[in-house]
Amino acid sequence: MTVASQIKKTLATLKGNQGTLRLYALQTRDKESKLVYNETLEATAQIISDLEERIKVLEYQEPQYKGN
Amino acid sequence: MQTWIQILLSSVSLFFLMLILIRLMGKRNIVRMTPFRFVSYIVAAVIAAIMSLNLIANLTFGFIALSVWVLFPIALDYLSLKSKWVHDIVSGKETVLIKHGKIMEENLLQTRLTAEELLRELRSKNAFSLADVEFAVMEDTGDINVFLKSHKKPVSSYDLGMKLAPLTEPQTVILDGNMLNESLFSLGFNREWLEIQLETIGVSIDNVFIGQVDSSGDLYLDLFDDSIQIPQPKVKEMLYANFEKSQADLMSFSLETKNEAARKMYSEHAEKLEQLMEKLKPYLLR
Repeated sequence: MTVASQIKKTLATLKGNQGTLRLYALQTRDKESKLVYNETLEATAQIISDLEERIKVLEYQEPQYKGN
Repeated sequence: MQTWIQILLSSVSLFFLMLILIRLMGKRNIVRMTPFRFVSYIVAAVIAAIMSLNLIANLTFGFIALSVWVLFPIALDYLSLKSKWVHDIVSGKETVLIKHGKIMEENLLQTRLTAEELLRELRSKNAFSLADVEFAVMEDTGDINVFLKSHKKPVSSYDLGMKLAPLTEPQTVILDGNMLNESLFSLGFNREWLEIQLETIGVSIDNVFIGQVDSSGDLYLDLFDDSIQIPQPKVKEMLYANFEKSQADLMSFSLETKNEAARKMYSEHAEKLEQLMEKLKPYLLR
């Protein structure tokens, strides 16, 4: 497994987490929980965008592995 | 008019009159009543019984007596709300029976409670040993309430220094196979949401005896057919585990990469995620 595909796997997990977390942030009735969920959502979005950047760089450096 | 018709009519009308009057007298639990209130209930009941059996010649006298025994307690209630002085006279004050772990014998005598009775009451509050009791008080209703010594009290999450996610009460959305629209709407969900949830679990609504939605919006079901195993909501635990996995991934990326900027980015995010997980833990795991 190349580095890029490993990162992609983590990225997929994080995106899944984001979805589940967003669902909970919407359906919870407690204000405090909602706040914590939303804070985590923001941080997760930041991590996701940084990982995507990193994948772009890696694919540019090693175009032979692109798409894996 | 025949006597039996008379008795029937007066009984029926008094039945509904008493229903209204007793409702007017308040909602208080009958076992948690001061003795005097209990007496006023009984007197009102006896007067109503006498009236319904036509035992008094003039019904007006009966109504006068009844209204006094119903209206005075109500009036006294309002006065006690307004004035502490009236309240203390009407309901009496609480009596301290045990203070700093020592029995106050004079107060015990004043409430005419024997030592055995006191011990029995303490036992009923799960204080089997007198050494465990810091403070005990007899309320104006005759109830005895016990405050245990701090090292004998049940442990709370506060004592353990543990943060717990606040929980609101669960709402029952399915009862006996029927959707309860009102509670569903108060949660901000609709019928489609519930149908989708039931479909993902794979049960039909006719098979559900009770369905409750907890404060985080997860659905818990109890089925008529107990042989069917349904998955209980474990989504939050899964979510936490996934975050843990991602955090570990980021850590290993930061160790593997040779690019300085990427290493910094990875380790920063791994650290941030760790902090967030610490925060999320009470909400997702407990």
